[in-house]
Amino acid sequence: MIQLLTRGIFAALLLVSAPTFAQNTPAPPNAELYIIWPPDGEVIQGGRLWVRMGLKNMGIAPANIQKEGTGHHHFLIDTDVPPLDEPIPSDNNHIHFGGGQTEARLTGLEPGEHTLQLMLGDHDHFPHDPPVVSEKITIIVAPY
Amino acid sequence: MKLTLSTMLAVLMLVVMPAQAGDTPAPEEAYLYIGWPNDGEVIRTGGGKPFRVWFGLRHMGVAPAGIDVPNTGHHHLLVNTPVPPLDEPIPADDNHIHFGLGQTQTQLTLPRGQHTLQLIMGDHAHIPHDPPVVSRKITVTVQ
Repeated sequence: MIQLLTRGIFAALLLVSAPTFAQNTPAPPNAELYIIWPPDGEVIQGGRLWVRMGLKNMGIAPANIQKEGTGHHHFLIDTDVPPLDEPIPSDNNHIHFGGGQTEARLTGLEPGEHTLQLMLGDHDHFPHDPPVVSEKITIIVAPY
Repeated sequence: MKLTLSTMLAVLMLVVMPAQAGDTPAPEEAYLYIGWPNDGEVIRTGGGKPFRVWFGLRHMGVAPAGIDVPNTGHHHLLVNTPVPPLDEPIPADDNHIHFGLGQTQTQLTLPRGQHTLQLIMGDHAHIPHDPPVVSRKITVTVQ
């Protein structure tokens, strides 16, 4: 009886909450994404650098691997946070690290100011709920 | 007959698998290091509070334990212990800390005194790669 009742309540709960279900994979509310290096405002000679990606209270999994509390890094270069209900685009401004990488060599940045920001995507490259996004930083590329 | 087969298999395994490393290949250029703390760092936590350790990895990716994807593995932090046997799963105890969820940093609490820290990657089954991906061993002092 208790089991039946529990099931009933569970079913009712599902019905009530279903319309508001986000499609996105849940992320721990205390997850924190940040760029370890470079720091905001760093001047980079020549435009080639290693970028180190930092993640607290969550783990890394390669693309296509569905595991709770994980995702993979995406680098947003000179662009804003993309729509949260679509897969993160894949182009020169949105760089995917589907191999589970936590550092990347950036090359070929033109001299001038560039913005960098990290965003975690789930196994299908969708942002999480809540989205796990770093602060946006600005670096200055100086010519050699 | 069954016995003979398994004996043959055992002999074959002994011959084929030198006791040096696991079966999962790692990129030759894979580079594992402790991003912070630095070697020789004096950490003034008083011994009771946690400090952050972040794991650096280049030319290779991270995957949770149990996930078999080429060129990935998960981090293990060796605390006050030498590198374990390379052909067995890395032990799981206070000296061998597993990050099987794919974590790339941790909060570590150590008592006052000198401690050594070292990272080693393990494959989906917690066995070191071939070649093994191991960081330099560093020494920190907690005051």
